[in-house]
Amino acid sequence: MALLAGVTGFTPAAALVASAARNGAIAGRVELRRPPSAAGRRPGVSDLGTPAMQPIAERQMSVVYLESAPRGAFEQTESDRAVMDQRNETFVPHVLAVTTGTTVDFPNSDRIYHNVFSLSKTRPFDLGRYPVGRSKSVRLDRPGIVRVFCDIHSHMSAFILVFGHPFFSVTDAAGRYRIDNVPPGTYTLVAWNEGVTSESRQVSVPDGGTAEVDFSLK
Amino acid sequence: MGKHRILSPVRLLLLTLPLLCTAHAVAAQGLPAEPFVFGDGRVVVSGDVSMTTSCAHAQDAAACTKDTGFFNFSDYNDSTLRMLGAGLSASVRLGSKLTALGDLRLQNAHRPRPYGVYLRFRPFERRNFDIQGGRIPSTFGSFARRAYSADNPLIGYPLAYQYLTSLRDDALPRTVDDLFRMRGRGWLSSFPLGDQTPAAGMPLANAFRWDTGIQAHGAAGIVEAAASVTAGSLAHPIFHDNNSGKQLAARVSVKPVVGLVAGVSASRAPYVTSGSAAAAGAAANDFVQTAFGADVEYSRAHYLLRFETLSVAYDLATIEPRLRALATMVEGRYKLTPRIHVAARLDHLGFNTIASPTRTDAWEAPVTRWEVGGGYALQRNVNLRLSMQHNTRDGGRVRRMTALSAQLLYWF
Repeated sequence: MALLAGVTGFTPAAALVASAARNGAIAGRVELRRPPSAAGRRPGVSDLGTPAMQPIAERQMSVVYLESAPRGAFEQTESDRAVMDQRNETFVPHVLAVTTGTTVDFPNSDRIYHNVFSLSKTRPFDLGRYPVGRSKSVRLDRPGIVRVFCDIHSHMSAFILVFGHPFFSVTDAAGRYRIDNVPPGTYTLVAWNEGVTSESRQVSVPDGGTAEVDFSLK
Repeated sequence: MGKHRILSPVRLLLLTLPLLCTAHAVAAQGLPAEPFVFGDGRVVVSGDVSMTTSCAHAQDAAACTKDTGFFNFSDYNDSTLRMLGAGLSASVRLGSKLTALGDLRLQNAHRPRPYGVYLRFRPFERRNFDIQGGRIPSTFGSFARRAYSADNPLIGYPLAYQYLTSLRDDALPRTVDDLFRMRGRGWLSSFPLGDQTPAAGMPLANAFRWDTGIQAHGAAGIVEAAASVTAGSLAHPIFHDNNSGKQLAARVSVKPVVGLVAGVSASRAPYVTSGSAAAAGAAANDFVQTAFGADVEYSRAHYLLRFETLSVAYDLATIEPRLRALATMVEGRYKLTPRIHVAARLDHLGFNTIASPTRTDAWEAPVTRWEVGGGYALQRNVNLRLSMQHNTRDGGRVRRMTALSAQLLYWF
């Protein structure tokens, strides 16, 4: 959770040039040197059949973000909404990145109960049990990592990364990411994945250009 | 005096401090939170560890001792309120239709015991229908299907699945008075026929062992059903058949709406060994345990309610009339916060009245138990629980017992 503690700060150097320059972008790829293992489901006494594993692709999703953000990054006033669905006893998406003030909806798309909860210090909550077609929501007001679970199905888990600024991106299936509208300047860029150690790099965003940064997480 | 003494803050602290220290260490170690997965997901291994300690106060005994009334013993040596338990469960996918499953459990310092080792065969890929063979999970009732600590909202077990009656599989009463003499002594009963060495009796249904045989299990729409043929009985599951009789058991449950499950179960089996039946001049089939059960579970939002009742009859060739027992349990759990839950259970175990030439009484001592408690989740998979349990029994040397228990539970 300390991982995101610095995201509410800002970079003075970047702030000096931000107003006069054209924004740029940061793009690249995150490679996981050790592929994540599939999420196992505890063998159950009353199971019918042997359930399929959670797709490994979900666990390959990484988040790339600026550790400290330029001035003006916190001026967003509109509250946002995001959705983390519960489908086939899986949270979809497995990794969600949002800004502070976002309300995350947790619809239940399964014909069984789910009970979404989190013990994270960032935002502890317990939505209780609710059936298919119903949705409950949680507003996330503090930056940090919110680990999400289902109280009924121990194999269901997900991550919500909450940032105090908009400079972050979740990787696609190929591990690619892109952060747009970054004011020119030098920043610390961090790549995060649930199963490995985060890695940070210094990156200089050119005036109106794109900085390319690849990560290889161990 | 007793209740106040065992509930003193100092005793509470002494009881929970070692578990709190252990809990802190466990949480700090970053122990696995998910099952281990090998071979591209073909092998999954999960486990759990529970440490339970308690401080009991029975009538005429010093405060903070073990359960001297043996209310919570699952056999002569082990109390469920003072136990170090560990378990490993594994599933190995052998093919698209076949899975091998195993469940190894360790209680206190005993040898690890294989609870279950069985094959699960799914003949039709698109149908929810399995055939399981080997040492298989119980077909009967709802509690045995959730016997692991993590599924139990309290520390103690329901009486029907744990409390030891005086009846044994290897020893038999010759007369009604033999039964009366053993009222309230199920943890160490003895009878004149068969093995005359004192030993633990049997619960109505055994949640601590699985039976050996074959089970069909399927679901269609809102209905789920299971039926099995096994070597032992509900009260005494076994690995090697000891009486040539078979247990027939079935369960049907419906889920009419999300959150509501209602089930009925039945089982019938000879429950004594051939040797003890022969000692009584009868066959094992003259000693049959017949059980019917009904259970309901309803949950919504932050609460969960469960009700279960078991009606059990024992035929004894040596005694008339049939011995009967009725167990009824209701329990509830409520989550106060993401970390804290509270729970309560009320439980009663009653027995029918029989008569000897000199006495008329229930053949076993009726027991009533209530338990209230709660849990605190240090992590999702590290739980600290506290509970207070009170037992009363209409018979036996110790007739009342109150216990304060603490449990640390870790699972992955």
